[in-house]
Amino acid sequence: MPRLQAHTVRALALLVGASVVSTVAGVEFAQMWEADRVLPGDGVVRIGRLSEYHPGLRNTRYDAMVYYLEGERPGGTALVLGGTHPNETAGFMAALVLVERSVVASGRVVVIPQACNSGFTCTDPLEAYPQSFPVATASGVRTFRYGARAANWVDQWPDPLVFMQYPSNQQLSGFETRNLNRAYPGRPDGTLTEQAAFAIMQLIRREEVDVAIDLHEAAPEFPNVNAIVTHEKGRDLAAQAVLALEFEDLQYSLELSPDNFRGLSHREWGDRTEAIPFLMETSNPIQGRLRGKTSAELLVTGSDSLYARAVRSGVMRVTYDVGGEPLKRRVGRHLAGILALLEAYSATYGERPIMLANVPSYEEMITAGLGAFLR
Amino acid sequence: MNNAIRLGAITALLCSCTLLGTAEGDLRLKEPVLITSAGQSADVSMAELLCKKAGVKATVLPMARESDLKEVKTLIIVAGFSSKGLGAAGVSREEEMERVQGMISGAGKNKIPILMMHIGGMARRGGQSDDFNKAAAEAADCMIVVKQGDEDQLFSNIAAQRKVPLHLVDKMSGAVVPLKELFPKEEEKK
Repeated sequence: MPRLQAHTVRALALLVGASVVSTVAGVEFAQMWEADRVLPGDGVVRIGRLSEYHPGLRNTRYDAMVYYLEGERPGGTALVLGGTHPNETAGFMAALVLVERSVVASGRVVVIPQACNSGFTCTDPLEAYPQSFPVATASGVRTFRYGARAANWVDQWPDPLVFMQYPSNQQLSGFETRNLNRAYPGRPDGTLTEQAAFAIMQLIRREEVDVAIDLHEAAPEFPNVNAIVTHEKGRDLAAQAVLALEFEDLQYSLELSPDNFRGLSHREWGDRTEAIPFLMETSNPIQGRLRGKTSAELLVTGSDSLYARAVRSGVMRVTYDVGGEPLKRRVGRHLAGILALLEAYSATYGERPIMLANVPSYEEMITAGLGAFLR
Repeated sequence: MNNAIRLGAITALLCSCTLLGTAEGDLRLKEPVLITSAGQSADVSMAELLCKKAGVKATVLPMARESDLKEVKTLIIVAGFSSKGLGAAGVSREEEMERVQGMISGAGKNKIPILMMHIGGMARRGGQSDDFNKAAAEAADCMIVVKQGDEDQLFSNIAAQRKVPLHLVDKMSGAVVPLKELFPKEEEKK
């Protein structure tokens, strides 16, 4: 048997080492392909998929689940989207609470908890993000995926150098080509992200959605956190909701959707459908650039000593409570915001009320925790 | 001559009493009211809703110009910057500041009192907002400010220096009370 030279042995060892690391990483990565367990509650009358509105999404990871909740009394229709950005967990969780817990008294509520379903199958590279996080519920500890901001590269590749938003031709960073909230109104023969956006537009039209709410989160240093962003046609309703929320000691700022920033839900849904769109943001430290140790704990507790230091220094404006911005608070804010918007809508459009029941109040969420409201 | 001096002195005394009265919070404002923005935040919509709750009829023109001041008896400037708002209005920060200065000077020329409202708390303070906050506060005849936005006493200090009434309220909804006081109904005036 010929004797191997030293450099060959080193090369083989490196190859074996790389194979082991790749296999372990690959197995871990593939675990994210497994869908999160959703346990629909009594309020859900039908479960569908986004591909019902655009068959092109069938058998793709963009084919998100759609949950339909319907009341005994007639009324209007609301759409609630979580997971437009899968790394903005409170949006996904608030939508999940609606699916697993709430009941519609009047009208209909359509919920898509993981709107950018593809983005839940990976995390953003170089951010040290956790792949999942635990939530203790009555049925045991459930884990949910923490996804990326946009869709998975594996599902839509490659990114262009410059993304030309359709149909505005607005130029954005190439990365944004996989961002669902830059893809509206979408098109049936476009990229998969554009097709998903197209399907959501079709859903809004076919289901005759009156109020459409897109749930987001942002870094504490982002100027528009704890805000409700709306199209000009939702301005009065949002103002009513902001004032109502203030009575619950929840402060929100009201922001208007810029007409010249295209592709966003609050702009395109409002311009191209009958729906009145709203987008809500909460403050999520794990998304911020000042954060320290990045872990599932940070995602759930929202507690970060470096943000606390930033607040105390007073050098920069950050929306961060020195006690932390826990997930339960962020979810509670979203749920309170949804209720306030639907109440404002129902009060204004009395002939098409949309009334939700069994939704925990902000106080209940803070006291009992998120897990208490999941099955 | 002596009579003329006496008349002048009495007039001056009456004027100063009126001003003192104003400074102590007796300012009474009249409709029609124009609400505009300084910084294009959507807080103008909140101000409109608060006015409605206070029974004050107001027209909202976030991008109002000096020419919109005809027939107006009170100008409400809602201070606070919003990048989204500027984008929605399609103007730059500099253009917005120029417009605000134009409105302030137009109100001065037409002797229209300015009520400044800062109701967005800390979200409408700091870097981008404070130029607009200061411009509006330094021209105001009266201010309504949500306390959270005055933690560093920016507005309190300006109000004290300029001797103009400042209504600090705990929450946005609290602005309804001073609005009702500032715009008394006819029967209340009697």
